[in-house]
Amino acid sequence: MTSTATPETAEEVAEEVVADPDRPWITVVWNDPINLMSYVTHVFMTVFGYPKPKAEKLMLDVHHRGRAVVSSGTRERMELDVHTLHGYGLWATLEQQT
Amino acid sequence: MKVGRRKGRLRLRLEPVEVELLQTLFQQLEAVLDGPDGDGAEAIRDRLVPDGYRDDEEAAAEFRGLTADTLRTERDERIAACRAELTEGGEVDISDPDAARRWIQVLNDLRLAFGTRLGVTEDDRPYVDPDDPDAELRAIYHWLSAVQDSVVSELMG
Repeated sequence: MTSTATPETAEEVAEEVVADPDRPWITVVWNDPINLMSYVTHVFMTVFGYPKPKAEKLMLDVHHRGRAVVSSGTRERMELDVHTLHGYGLWATLEQQT
Repeated sequence: MKVGRRKGRLRLRLEPVEVELLQTLFQQLEAVLDGPDGDGAEAIRDRLVPDGYRDDEEAAAEFRGLTADTLRTERDERIAACRAELTEGGEVDISDPDAARRWIQVLNDLRLAFGTRLGVTEDDRPYVDPDDPDAELRAIYHWLSAVQDSVVSELMG
């Protein structure tokens, strides 16, 4: 998936396009009916060190649009973020940016 | 229940009946986390350890394999720590960032457990119909929300 070896066949080229190692991974938080808005804001401030206005905007995006991208980076880093957010009970997933 | 600062310390103060209730809830949550399936325990455990990948079952299963045990251990540890801090006097010092974190997390674990059991939806209002067979569970759920919101508000300033 993250290999940067030179592709030799057409099939490998196609695969490389699907799993472009340069495309960053993102952590997405999904809306859920249980977590409090104040709590979600606080978690974004605590986990990512975001200032309150940014944390509140992300929380409102989750609330109104159903999801928000809260961080981006390597796949390993995003797995860590998702793990941390699960510890806080948030509905978080990671995916490669499209 | 009151949350406030005194002499520079942030304290959570609970009435004796609230201390007793929380101790019971902690025991129940431990039983759900580490006990057998049945009585809705699986649904709660699934909610506490959701999928890390949305459209990739294989990756989700692998991720769960890597994280589920750690999450459960962390939850067990914070329940134990909060139970130990919750003495009869009902005053808990949450000035230390680790203590504050563990209390809002444990309150959230309880809210997720109750919310899952009650099937809480986005449209639910903090009102309890006394004729609702789940009236007592709903009252506890809303109380947990109020406690958590008070603590979080104090922490955010």
